[in-house]
Amino acid sequence: MTSPILDVRHVSHRFRGHLALDDISFAIQTGEVVGLIGRSGAGKSTLLRCLCALERPDNGQILLNGEDITTQSESHLVKVRRRIGLVFQHFNLLNSRSVAGNIALPLQIAGCSRPKQKKRVEELLDLVGLQGFDKKYPSQLSGGQKQRVGIARALAANPSLLLCDEATSALDPESTASILNLLTDINRQLGLTIVIITHEMEVVRSFARRILALDHGRLIEDGTMVDFLSDGGQKKTLQPLLADIRPKLPADLARQIVAHDSPNATIVMRVVHSGEGVLPPFFGMLAQRFNLEATLLQGGVTTIGDQPVGDMIISLHGERRDEAVTFIKNMVKSMEVLGYVPHHP
Amino acid sequence: MSPIILNIILQSTLQTLEMVFASTAISVVIGLPLALFMITTGPGGLYHLPFAARIVGILVDALRAIPFIILLVILIPLTRFIAGTSLGTEAAIVPLSIAGIPYFARIAEVALREVDSGLIDAVKAMGGTRLTIIRSVLIPEALPSLVGSLTVTLITMVGASAMAGTIGAGGLGDLAIRYGYQRFNTTVMMDVVAVLIVMVFIIQICGNALARWLKH
Repeated sequence: MTSPILDVRHVSHRFRGHLALDDISFAIQTGEVVGLIGRSGAGKSTLLRCLCALERPDNGQILLNGEDITTQSESHLVKVRRRIGLVFQHFNLLNSRSVAGNIALPLQIAGCSRPKQKKRVEELLDLVGLQGFDKKYPSQLSGGQKQRVGIARALAANPSLLLCDEATSALDPESTASILNLLTDINRQLGLTIVIITHEMEVVRSFARRILALDHGRLIEDGTMVDFLSDGGQKKTLQPLLADIRPKLPADLARQIVAHDSPNATIVMRVVHSGEGVLPPFFGMLAQRFNLEATLLQGGVTTIGDQPVGDMIISLHGERRDEAVTFIKNMVKSMEVLGYVPHHP
Repeated sequence: MSPIILNIILQSTLQTLEMVFASTAISVVIGLPLALFMITTGPGGLYHLPFAARIVGILVDALRAIPFIILLVILIPLTRFIAGTSLGTEAAIVPLSIAGIPYFARIAEVALREVDSGLIDAVKAMGGTRLTIIRSVLIPEALPSLVGSLTVTLITMVGASAMAGTIGAGGLGDLAIRYGYQRFNTTVMMDVVAVLIVMVFIIQICGNALARWLKH
């Protein structure tokens, strides 16, 4: 494996007296798309400011292309920052400059010649789908368009890493989807490494192949969406992050459910499965093999990345229920018993 | 109205305009860097010089605390030193500027403070130097508000120049006092007031239009 583009080693940082980052370590390879998720106050923003060299962590190292950015002098950091593109939640475009002027700013800072700037601005407008918008001003654009300008600006100086700080949080669902598509295209076309920081699981679930979760300054999970869904049952800290995107128990059922088993009770469980074997007729197979009633209560199969992932709440009722549970346990990625309903639901 | 009076009013108006525009120009040229200094050296600023920021802040506030009519008198020796005389329109520009500098500096500081810190972070993250931040972010982004500060300063200078008129600066203030107060010529005084009102209206309208145009 080649050396990682970004290597974070044992980073700790205090912010306003409390430990905002607590011994964080991870590495990101070139071309990866990584989601960094956490609730507000989890330390996301502090980590971001450390990654783009706006803040120096108290302890630990951050290696960008193998170069430790935590020990550089301020004047050298100015150059380091030019290798990182930053996309902001509130766009942070200069209202005094036109779209072209905003996109050209990093080039101007890097000392590019005027004709070069002009050429690059045109390329970037093309890339983000804003041809002909060069003379407009930010106040004339919609949120989604502003963010496209923000992305073009972040890409202007050919950064080796693109950091997106809640880049879609201020946008409506439609613009969010189009911005995420744009970022995916950019990753595919340019092979650019992208880290997207967010508090919404919805944003990263389809977009990032790898997800890092922060909670109270600690890295609590590093894996694929499927890992998140499978570990969600065991790790209590992950549950609030997943709550928005997971199927929930229907309200009337939630009232009936009890923790202990009883004869002839229906078992209710959450099942996560990925890869091959999700799509075959799961329920039919259960019914046939064990002669029981298998019901899908909530959830279904979605495609994450390129693979189908099932996240479902199901209920099983029948004589050979326990055999079926063992069978499912061996077949799926993870399974969690939510409870029992004494009589048939 | 006699042509003589009309001529005097015209003369005085030109004198007032000269005082107002010259002293405001000096106030901006010196006051804007002062405002930038206060904003960039203060808490959370680009440069970390809290002591220097405090000193400049105290000086600015001390100057602003002195009533203009008293400042006029205190500054007579300085005015003589710079202008060679303490009388006349040119001489009045000295105390007017010295009152205008801290005035403009403080309101320009407010305008500059309004600039979104996210923009400063964005340019910092692009690898912009502090000078780039001042030149490409602070000043252009605050420009519409700074034009507002300029308008307010111009109008304040109209009032102050009338006060300077009482101690021999010429201009509309001088005219109003001499004819209206000392000679009980109410007509001339009312004419002067009308000219002042029109002058302030025109300044305000132009200032607003310019600020709106700059806002895109």
